[in-house]
Amino acid sequence: MKSPVQPPRWAQWLLIRLHPDDTLEEVSGDLDELYTYWYKRSGKARATLYYLLNVMSVLPPFVRRRKTDKQYYRQPDYPATFSIKTMMIQNYLKIAFRNLKRQKVSTSINIIGLAIGLATCILIMLYVQDELSYDRYNEKADRIFRVGLRARLNGEDVSGPILGPNAARDLQQEIPEILKATRLLRGAEFVSNGTSSFKEDNLLYADSNFCEVFTIPFLKGDPKQALTEPNTVVLTEETARKYFGNQNPVGKVLLFSREKTPHRITGVVKNVPANAHFRFDMLVSSPGYDEQHIGWIYSINYYTYVVLPEKYNYKELEAKISRLAEKQIGGELEGFLHLTLKQFREKGDDFGVFLQPLTSIHLHSPFGGNELTPGGNMLYVYVLLAIAAFMLLIACVNFMNLATATAVRRSREIGVRKVLGSVKGQLQQQFLIESVLLAIAALIVGLLIVGLSLPFFNQLTGKILTLSLLTNAFVATGLVVGTVLVGLLAGSYPAFYLSSFKPVVILKGRITAGRGNFNLRSGLVAFQFFVTISMIIATVTADRQLRYMQRQKIGFNREQVLIVHNTQMLSDNETLFRDKIIQSPLVVTGSISGQVPIGNSAHDNSPIMSRENPDKAVMSRFYKVDNDYIPTLGMHVVQGRNFSKNLSTDSSAVILNETAVRALGWQQNPIGRELIGHIDDNGVKTYYRVIGVVSDFHFESLRQKIGPLAMFLGGNSGNILIKTRPGKLPQFLASLKQQWESFSPAAPFSYSFLDDRFKQVYIGEQKIEQVLTLFSGLTIFIACLGLFGLATFTAEQRTKEIGVRKVLGASAGSVVTLLSLDFLKPIVIALAMASPVAWWGMNQWLKEFAYKVTVDWWFFALAGLLAIGIALLTVSFQSIKAALTNPIKSLRSE
Amino acid sequence: MRRTYLGEFEEMVLLMVALLNGEGYGVTISEALAEHTGRIVTFGTVHNTLIRLEEKGFVTSELGGATTERGGRRKRLFRITAPGSRALQEIQQLRQNLWSLLPPDILQPGNV
Repeated sequence: MKSPVQPPRWAQWLLIRLHPDDTLEEVSGDLDELYTYWYKRSGKARATLYYLLNVMSVLPPFVRRRKTDKQYYRQPDYPATFSIKTMMIQNYLKIAFRNLKRQKVSTSINIIGLAIGLATCILIMLYVQDELSYDRYNEKADRIFRVGLRARLNGEDVSGPILGPNAARDLQQEIPEILKATRLLRGAEFVSNGTSSFKEDNLLYADSNFCEVFTIPFLKGDPKQALTEPNTVVLTEETARKYFGNQNPVGKVLLFSREKTPHRITGVVKNVPANAHFRFDMLVSSPGYDEQHIGWIYSINYYTYVVLPEKYNYKELEAKISRLAEKQIGGELEGFLHLTLKQFREKGDDFGVFLQPLTSIHLHSPFGGNELTPGGNMLYVYVLLAIAAFMLLIACVNFMNLATATAVRRSREIGVRKVLGSVKGQLQQQFLIESVLLAIAALIVGLLIVGLSLPFFNQLTGKILTLSLLTNAFVATGLVVGTVLVGLLAGSYPAFYLSSFKPVVILKGRITAGRGNFNLRSGLVAFQFFVTISMIIATVTADRQLRYMQRQKIGFNREQVLIVHNTQMLSDNETLFRDKIIQSPLVVTGSISGQVPIGNSAHDNSPIMSRENPDKAVMSRFYKVDNDYIPTLGMHVVQGRNFSKNLSTDSSAVILNETAVRALGWQQNPIGRELIGHIDDNGVKTYYRVIGVVSDFHFESLRQKIGPLAMFLGGNSGNILIKTRPGKLPQFLASLKQQWESFSPAAPFSYSFLDDRFKQVYIGEQKIEQVLTLFSGLTIFIACLGLFGLATFTAEQRTKEIGVRKVLGASAGSVVTLLSLDFLKPIVIALAMASPVAWWGMNQWLKEFAYKVTVDWWFFALAGLLAIGIALLTVSFQSIKAALTNPIKSLRSE
Repeated sequence: MRRTYLGEFEEMVLLMVALLNGEGYGVTISEALAEHTGRIVTFGTVHNTLIRLEEKGFVTSELGGATTERGGRRKRLFRITAPGSRALQEIQQLRQNLWSLLPPDILQPGNV
């Protein structure tokens, strides 16, 4: 029956169409009732108005929708539905912590494994970041280029990063695109502040516009005026402190070299950043453009830098510069050699210039030894990045493996949760939260490891890396997000795999992992061991080579030889000093020579020709020695005799090494033959008679082959080599210092031992060996973790099988063998694959050495045995545990 | 313990539901509000508030009491729940505590 009064039909229609269906019944009823009420009280018009207004208020978007029954009544006990999630997460966290606490061993293994992977990654990233940041501190970094010389002479490539002194000025004058050009020249000087003197090995001679090109901030003094006058010098903060303590050094004077030339200090700059391709303790004003030696290829010593306009393509400029260079160099060639550049090129020789971007100098420069500081190597950067990626990948895979293995133990929990109403999503959430939690714990541990190992890593790499990079908001977020991602990825497998179990099956205790999973895992283990075995082989090879080099007979006696440096600073008193020293009972002999056969020392390659065959030149190393040189170094004279003090004819005598004798073709009876040792500008030849032959000795590192060597008698100051008897060395050194200072030379007393210098030569190889040992240790460790995870997993999977086997009479030993043998297969495969790769790689590395070990078969055997041994040890832990379990325990749950 | 926030209007509506003791539905609650507080609000406001109170668990509802004047359509009758009455009591308690802390003369007409 209808009510007597009716609201407008169209309004009712609107309500029916737009109001949510589930509340339509009561709302339309209520509104009709209200309409009747308003109609009675205020009449039709008012009632209709109110009705419309109220209909509007229950139409979207104003109306609130009732939640569906399902949403509404799921958790009727909880007063507020939105708190369910947080409560469950609390529960997950609680369960996660309980689980992690209960399985202390696997939790800590898992965390440590990932932490080490992350730490390695972070360390390598720090290193790589530092390598890539070289010279970027310069405000104009992208616009600075270095002009280098490309040259080919006598068929030999003698290109380098340096040019003659006038190139910079010519470039700036002739080419308008070059905004600025500046030069650097390296040097070493004895510097004194009046009271004490130091040898400064890191001097740079710089033009006055140095600071307009490079960004080295001044702390004191005016950058524009600092190096404009001759004999002015700018110190770094550190050097200023060394000479003047906390006093202001600006305006003070330092005395340079033996002549004690005064240099006025005009400024103090900040220490040079560690990631600069040059290093200096002092900047000395450049000698200026010397008009006498105008040229680009006259004294090629100057590092020349130019600044280009912004966004300028430097390749275009290269052509322009090349034209200028051809003009200049061509002129110079005509002056020196009376050859035009064209004729010169026809001979097969060449001269030219090229541009090198400042930021690529550190990693991409091919002129290692000619650089201002030893450069890096892009190849090492790539190798390190690959190692970092491998480590992280392996660590993640292991994390996943271990997480899955431990999660399988919790299948019953999953079953119960499912029975109690957990849906798949909730279980996934639970496992993901757990693995993210673990990953974050690993990140924290990893950061701790990085913090602790950074000093050691710095020592190894010779860098000054700090953690400050990690405080960068961007990097920090990246790390955290990356770790969470790793956690999610690693947790995803167990999460999706385990949550998909049917509760009935789990609770009955029947879960089987597919065979396919096992194959994937074996593949990963094989890959890990492939990396591990390669690393072991590389480490063994590097170690053998290092030992070989250190034990190799070098042809002279390096024990007990003390070298006093810079004795040329004693000038005329050098011999007097030597004569005084050798009176000490501790001294056997003493010799003055600039040439020390190890490490950096003055060397000079010149041609020698035999008298009978003057056209055939043998490039040979010249040593100027005195008659005590050979006995002091204990070199072996195989034929003839040493120089003698008493024979004045020995001034035109020469002693050769065996290689030189062979090169000259004098194998039979070399003594008494004559060679041309010097031809002066007028073609006058100086002849030397061979009086002796010394057996070959290594005068450089074992990387180089022994070359021909000729020793002449002659004054050659620089070092005094002293062969000492074992005894009271400290007192002896003290007395040496006293005697040195009695001559009051401009240089401080300094000395070294020959065997220490010998070790220094191989420091690079030593570092490579240390890095290899470190990384192979880490990969072994991480690979073991992977194996451990896999072993745990399979042992878990095969509990029932082992139980049945034991019931049927299998011994513990046979079960252990059964479980362990499974793991040998991937390792053997890894060994077979790693051996040729490692063999090839190590042979490439050994190519650098003229004297080297061969990669023997036993390296591979050793690496293989080591890998198998470690693997068996790791696996046996789990398999023995599984084999000793009482079968009642493993079978009762059926 | 976590407390669910109860707004002033929600409190009023909840009080009306309590007052009507099981007889409360859209119309009666609106009328009671108008009668006791003098507030005239749109029906939608009351409707939404009731849904919100139900979501918070302070009231429950069921459909029933079809009458002829509604064309046989059922009403949704609301009843206060235990958490609802607890919430009201807490508010009352809080107010009383605060009142008891007030110095007696501070709200005298002369002071305001």
